[in-house]
Amino acid sequence: MTLEELMETVPAYARDLKLNFSTLTQQPELTSQQIWGTIVASAVASRSRDLTQAVVAEAAGHLSPQALEAAKGAAAIMGMNNVYYRFQHLTSNQNYRNMPARLRMNIIRSHGIDAADFELWCAAVSAINGCSACVDSHEKVVREKGLSEDAVLAAMRLASVVHALAVVFDAERVGAAQAVSA
Amino acid sequence: MLGVGEKFPSFSLTATVSTEKDPKAAFKTITDLDYSGKWKVYFFWPKDFTFVCPTEITGFAKLNKQFKDRDAQILGGSIDSEWVHHAWRTYHADLKDLPFPMLSDIKRDLCEQLGILDPQGGVAQRATFIVDPEGIIRFVYVTDGAVGRNPDEVLRVLDALQTDELCPCNWKKGEATLQIA
Repeated sequence: MTLEELMETVPAYARDLKLNFSTLTQQPELTSQQIWGTIVASAVASRSRDLTQAVVAEAAGHLSPQALEAAKGAAAIMGMNNVYYRFQHLTSNQNYRNMPARLRMNIIRSHGIDAADFELWCAAVSAINGCSACVDSHEKVVREKGLSEDAVLAAMRLASVVHALAVVFDAERVGAAQAVSA
Repeated sequence: MLGVGEKFPSFSLTATVSTEKDPKAAFKTITDLDYSGKWKVYFFWPKDFTFVCPTEITGFAKLNKQFKDRDAQILGGSIDSEWVHHAWRTYHADLKDLPFPMLSDIKRDLCEQLGILDPQGGVAQRATFIVDPEGIIRFVYVTDGAVGRNPDEVLRVLDALQTDELCPCNWKKGEATLQIA
């Protein structure tokens, strides 16, 4: 199913999300690569198989293969870092911050696309995964690399809506499965 | 002996890369400039056709995929000629399908520059070097006589050398901006 076809299946109660999504893909504050990379990274992080499949297929028409890989890579590595550093942030024991992480994360250096865009995707995924330390530090890095606050917020809007759509598609999938077995 | 932080010497040596009968297929010239962009794991042994060496060599061979996954090329070597390597690989079942080259440092030139020629025996000591993509030595591991190396340990060190906390999430308050290349 294409992304467009998938969006047609959004139920009435989630109409807002469908409309938000179509508007947000046109935000002028972000480049096409930034928009679609954010959507891919957010979809992967939000874990709806239906949405991820459709998004990745659609994004292939907007992103270079390297950028598509990098967006998935951002979601992958932040899937790890958002838990590890959130632990450090949540625990009152500060000693952990001085101990070596011993976690490979070379993709943060070797993704091969614009550093600002990769960091933006990391920030979006961190917002979805709820790691405040990560959100804070990636937001800083992204703005140091020249992105405006408007651009950051535009990405966060996308991340929010993509996440919500993932929730909806998973809910509807459960509903459909139950209807079949009923 | 060369140590951590020093540049690995330049070299151009014949290597045995297979047990094919045709010398054009079995041998290849390898230099320090090959495998550009990769990490290199050079490990030397005293003599072909002896006892400890094959177990170490097959130990590295078993981990070849893990080294490859970490963008590392294993290169074995001794001062034996490429023909001796070839014979050894042909007749030793465990070495037949070795997935990495055996360098022949027949003039002892590389081993001399590395400082690993045994003063008593005149052959290479059991030395291992991890070299980064910029050609700098990052790990040196030498054992005496009949004590074999632990290839798992070499892999562990390579992994640790490659593991950098690149995420700005680990900033402590007041630290300077993280420079991501």
